[in-house]
Amino acid sequence: MSQYDSKFYDFFTHPDSAELMAALARKYGFSGIVDTNPKINEVIILPDDFSIYRGVEIQAKSSRIREEIKKHRGSNLILLARGGEEDINRASVESEGLDILLQPSEFNNVLAKAASDNSIAIGFNLGLLIRLRGDARVRELKNMRIILKHARKYKLEMILTSDSSSVYDLRSPREMVALSSLFGMTPCEAIDAMSATPKSILRRKSPNYIKEGIEIL
Amino acid sequence: MKTMPTLREKKRYIAFEINSDKTIIRQELVREISNSIISLFGDKGASEINPSLMSFEGRFGILRCAREKTNETRAALACINNIRAIRVSFHVLGISGTIKGATEKFIQQSLVKESEPEKRIKK
Repeated sequence: MSQYDSKFYDFFTHPDSAELMAALARKYGFSGIVDTNPKINEVIILPDDFSIYRGVEIQAKSSRIREEIKKHRGSNLILLARGGEEDINRASVESEGLDILLQPSEFNNVLAKAASDNSIAIGFNLGLLIRLRGDARVRELKNMRIILKHARKYKLEMILTSDSSSVYDLRSPREMVALSSLFGMTPCEAIDAMSATPKSILRRKSPNYIKEGIEIL
Repeated sequence: MKTMPTLREKKRYIAFEINSDKTIIRQELVREISNSIISLFGDKGASEINPSLMSFEGRFGILRCAREKTNETRAALACINNIRAIRVSFHVLGISGTIKGATEKFIQQSLVKESEPEKRIKK
């Protein structure tokens, strides 16, 4: 049971009401969420030991993705790109500075190698498993198995996200573990994907961080 | 006739909470749970899980399943996102070997937890 004591984060939410979402996430046992659609001037009363980080979803044509990532690279926002076609995946994986590539389809060894070079975490979008039914879900599960195989081989960082836009899309960490077991992820990997990987991304985004292996004493 | 203890089916009781803004009818909930299990694991998987809703009141309920299939049942519950166009989300409170344990340990405790913040305000 002790493995569920670590801090959990959900790294891709875009809630209508951040306050409700924060309260429910706290109840489910999360210690932080990333809001990719933050409203300016919104005053949110946060529960104890809970934090909302700001993120940005990169949405652009494959030729513009590199520029978009460069634009946001210096900031402390968490950069996400939704994977899709081959050229979008390729462009996002090869540009340094991106944090998470979410659910790329047609994942292959070339993309995996580039992602491992640029230390980009690969995201699994569990929201798709919740919302889709039938053929579409079968396709996504198949895709997730392929991603998992490559991620294990190239030791990529994995991350589980719920892609939730309302409180009804959010699931508690144990449910996320159960959902991830549907495509062959072990509970240990799933817990790391919700606690260790987000922590390492946050560490990279903190102002004290310079480069991998260098720290201020 | 009573079956021998070694031949009895081993089961677990899952205490869950439903998060929704409208009330949900028991029959529709049962249908949605079995729909979700069948769409995720097929008829064979559903027969192995052997789900049955023991009780459901307000937001809380207890679902029985096979002992070895608790993780699968949890995944199937997590996949439910609407019941007859009412948006819902399931939250498993805990898993127990007896109905009494599930009610006392998880459902009553979560009711106590909810009433605590109000007490603090009163002070």
